[in-house]
Amino acid sequence: MGSAPAQIPTSFGHELRACLRCRLVKTYDQFRDAGCENCPFFKMEEDHERIVEVTTPNFNGIISVMDPSRSWAARWLRIGKFAPGCYTLAVAEPLPEEMQLLCQEERVQYVLPKRM
Amino acid sequence: MSQYSDDDDDYSDDGSEMEEEEEEEEPEWNDKGGSGKKRGRSKSDSGGRGGRKKKSSESKYIVWEAEVSDAEDDDEDVDEEDDFFVNGETDLPAEDDQRQYYQPRFNPLQEVEEDFDNLEKIKERLSRYAKDDDYELEELNEVDQQALLPSVRDPKLWMVKCVIGREREVAVCLMQKIIDRGSEFKIRSVIALDHLQNYIYIEADMEAHVKEAIKGMRNIYANNKILLVPIKEMTDVLSVGSKAIDLSRDMWVRMKLGIYKGDLAQVVDVDNVRRRVTVKLIPRIDLQVLANKLEGRETVKKKAFAPPPRFMNVDEARELHIRVEHRRDQTTGDYFESIDNMLFKNGFLYKKVSTKSIAAQNITPTFDELERFKRPSENGEIDFDDLSTLFANRKKGHFMKGDAVIVIRGDLKNMKGWIEKVNEENVLIRSNMKGLPNPLAVYERDLCKYFEPGNFVKVVSGSHEGATGMVVKVDQHVLIVLSDTTKEHIRIFADHVVKSTEVTNGVTKIGDYELHDLVLLSDLSFGVIIKLDSEAIQILKGVPDKPKVSFVKAREIKYKIEKRTNAQDRYKNVITVKDVVRVIEGYSKGKQGPVLQIHKGVLFMHDRHNLEHAGFICAKCSSCVLVGGSNSGANRIVDSFSRFGNFKTPAPVPPSPRRFQRGDMGSNIGSGAGRRQWGGRGNDLLVGTYVKIRLGPFKGYMGRLVEVKEKSVRVELEAKIVTVDRNAISDMTDNVTTPSQYNNMGSQTPMHPSRTPLHPCMTPMRDSGATPIHDGMRTPMRNRAWNPYTPMTPSRDNWENGNPGSWGTSSQYQPESSYDPATPGSGWANSTPGRSYSDVGTPIANAPSPMTPSSVSYLPTTPGGQPMTPGADLDLMSPDIDEEGETWLTPGILVNVHKTGEDSKEGVIRDVLSDGSCVVAVGDRGEGDTVMATQREVRLVFPRKNDHVKIVGGKYRGSRATFIGLDGSDGLVRLDDSLEIKIMKPAMLAKLAHE
Repeated sequence: MGSAPAQIPTSFGHELRACLRCRLVKTYDQFRDAGCENCPFFKMEEDHERIVEVTTPNFNGIISVMDPSRSWAARWLRIGKFAPGCYTLAVAEPLPEEMQLLCQEERVQYVLPKRM
Repeated sequence: MSQYSDDDDDYSDDGSEMEEEEEEEEPEWNDKGGSGKKRGRSKSDSGGRGGRKKKSSESKYIVWEAEVSDAEDDDEDVDEEDDFFVNGETDLPAEDDQRQYYQPRFNPLQEVEEDFDNLEKIKERLSRYAKDDDYELEELNEVDQQALLPSVRDPKLWMVKCVIGREREVAVCLMQKIIDRGSEFKIRSVIALDHLQNYIYIEADMEAHVKEAIKGMRNIYANNKILLVPIKEMTDVLSVGSKAIDLSRDMWVRMKLGIYKGDLAQVVDVDNVRRRVTVKLIPRIDLQVLANKLEGRETVKKKAFAPPPRFMNVDEARELHIRVEHRRDQTTGDYFESIDNMLFKNGFLYKKVSTKSIAAQNITPTFDELERFKRPSENGEIDFDDLSTLFANRKKGHFMKGDAVIVIRGDLKNMKGWIEKVNEENVLIRSNMKGLPNPLAVYERDLCKYFEPGNFVKVVSGSHEGATGMVVKVDQHVLIVLSDTTKEHIRIFADHVVKSTEVTNGVTKIGDYELHDLVLLSDLSFGVIIKLDSEAIQILKGVPDKPKVSFVKAREIKYKIEKRTNAQDRYKNVITVKDVVRVIEGYSKGKQGPVLQIHKGVLFMHDRHNLEHAGFICAKCSSCVLVGGSNSGANRIVDSFSRFGNFKTPAPVPPSPRRFQRGDMGSNIGSGAGRRQWGGRGNDLLVGTYVKIRLGPFKGYMGRLVEVKEKSVRVELEAKIVTVDRNAISDMTDNVTTPSQYNNMGSQTPMHPSRTPLHPCMTPMRDSGATPIHDGMRTPMRNRAWNPYTPMTPSRDNWENGNPGSWGTSSQYQPESSYDPATPGSGWANSTPGRSYSDVGTPIANAPSPMTPSSVSYLPTTPGGQPMTPGADLDLMSPDIDEEGETWLTPGILVNVHKTGEDSKEGVIRDVLSDGSCVVAVGDRGEGDTVMATQREVRLVFPRKNDHVKIVGGKYRGSRATFIGLDGSDGLVRLDDSLEIKIMKPAMLAKLAHE
């Protein structure tokens, strides 16, 4: 395992949300308390309203990545460079535009979800 | 966080262990890295994209490293695509970078920053090359994704069974377990898909790793087999469509759970954050029960019973002393009546539900549902505003250029026009109205399709999908359509239909079941399909007393009853399919029509004048009488074949103008000598045939039929003529001996258009040609002509095996055998010299019928067919009608010679004499003696694959070809001249002798 793992969801139900940028899945509370391990610049732990903006409860499938760098699945999903943790396979919504701008400012890559 | 701090600590311990481990390993890969890579590269240099191959080199460290470079590709490839190799080869300087890249692993956060730094650089570079860097990134990803396709060296995905509903939990727990226990386990990832229950995927190099990891996990069935996902399917596992169901207001949805399950509801509000929607639906509330409940009186709970949907009537509720509060919703500001914590407005129940408990895709509310949904107190008519909500469910491409439309909203309301162009957002329409710009842009949702009474339309969606009919009434945008199939009125939305010139019977086939099929249902009752639509199959049950129609799903049908039986009418006349019968008692008394299906003594007939049940009537056979009216005379002729196949005496039929045909058949069947007067008695058609007696004291005897009586026939045995029961005989050479088999073929008749009275003459003509050929091929006796099976049996195996048992029963024959009843006519043309073509109905031979092609194929022997191929250069064709039937024989082809009392011999035709008989040289190369054989004594040898053949009929008559094989009932040949591949009836192919 490469880096320290992200928080692991404490429940498996409706409370789960996925970060719209890195697709990390945690509960709302976890995002509130610790933010997103991959996207600290969102500063969710400081600005709780932002959690709703940059995370979504609408996601599809969960992948627990134990070893992102050596996992083919993680690479395929382009989460191979993120911290080990639970991610989702796909989110439907894009980041709000201002958040996309924030990504640009932070010089962080953001890829829009593929429209099906 | 608090609860995780422990974990974190744990982890850092674990982590340090791990780091040690890694440190041990690290130098190893640092040392080997370069060389290892070189090795990898040297192998893959030729392989084009080095990166890909390199990744698949042996050491997993290198895999790792390659992955990194891969990751770099992600970012750097944009400007360095061309340098890909260079990038791969000149890795050594980059090595430092990479080390830098890895070392910070010890500080994950830093790594992330590094990551970002990296990205930053790339972005800079990107912006140098392209302005629209977002676009570039996207592009890059598309291409790059291909490079990430799994290879054999990548970890594999294993499918592991787990408890239903615990898929996510298992994935998360495994994650926790691996975090807690550190590098003990070697699984890479765990995938839980939302749409796949009962299974999770685990990514690991080996099955053993998976087993180790899942050992002791609570919700995993560790004993179940672990399945490996094939490499090709790995990406499928991960490519879940992000199902973006855009729930929006006014959309129609269906409830999935509870007492409202299946009910239509309309979305009022969507809360995307909480994943909840407010829907409006017609409440199913029993006020009395509610009142009892509120007053604390317990009532017997009947869970199975859902109250019918009914609008909430507040006054009624008050009467029952139910407390109704007038309340304002805090979020929307709307006023609602609140009863027992349920919100009502205008009688509708407003309910907050989870998005998961509603189905929003492909919901097409039916007309009735929408009608029910309109507020009862509002004006009786459904107005457009109400229904325009329906359009929320419109599919894309709803409107097409040329559609007539009407504007239903706004200033231009009721303006009619035609669609000129469909754009993304709006639609350009052209109207006749003066003073308006043409074309005019209108929003799609303001438009509705427009039809006028008299239009022929086809239903394209909804429960009546596939039906066609004529618009008889237009009520705003509800149409009343007279269905072609059912002759019933359908109320349907203009939105669901398109103009169509097609006049079909609507859906006539669903799966294996076709309209008018006789089917057995799962409750063992049977019936005839009288209507098919996308949702249900309507069946007229085989209950004779009273018409009973039931709606079933396709899966409730056990199977199609193919076996045809006969029945006897009240006066013991045999009724077969296609016979016209009249019902003389019971519910359907007085009705009459042709029988379409017979099963267990129950007749299903079709009365065109009967509008009920698509014209179908079901009656007991004993309540019917066979009709011998002249209007059915033509039918009879056709029937007679089947009847004849059954060896049943045809019910007395008054002579009809067309009767001669039967006579013809009779005469031509008469072996050679059957030159009788046209218009002979119908029974004559049996005369002259060779039969075998099946029953009675003469069982097993064979002989020629000399006379046919009402119930019996006279058969000339070897020595004497005896009298036996009609049913007690069978065709001597025929393979079919049991009546049921005959039944089978007889009843095929209805399926065949050519048998309809309209084309009565076609039948004999076609067969006359067909039979001799086939007969020749299979049966020694030429006068077997009437054997219904002969002419069309295309499947080679079957003709070769003369096993009687396989004949009638083989289902393969069914489609073909439908042609046969006509067969009896075979040869008649030859035997009736005095007959002029026109009398025979030659023109009709051209009549459009599915049979025509086959009749063409038999041309050489068909007198009626001959005029159609005037140019056919068959030199042997004789002007004499008598012989031209046999002109297909040409020198050089291989035949079997059957002489009475001798074994059949193979030989080559050397010459064909003017009287049609041939000089045949015995032996497959014609090396033996020459014998004379009459046409009847020779039959064609069917070619095998790659044999050279001569085409003896049809357009290509006389051409040589190579036989490629059989395709169903068709033979495939390649013409020697043009090398074209042609499809021919096998009967047209004559094997050529080896030269």
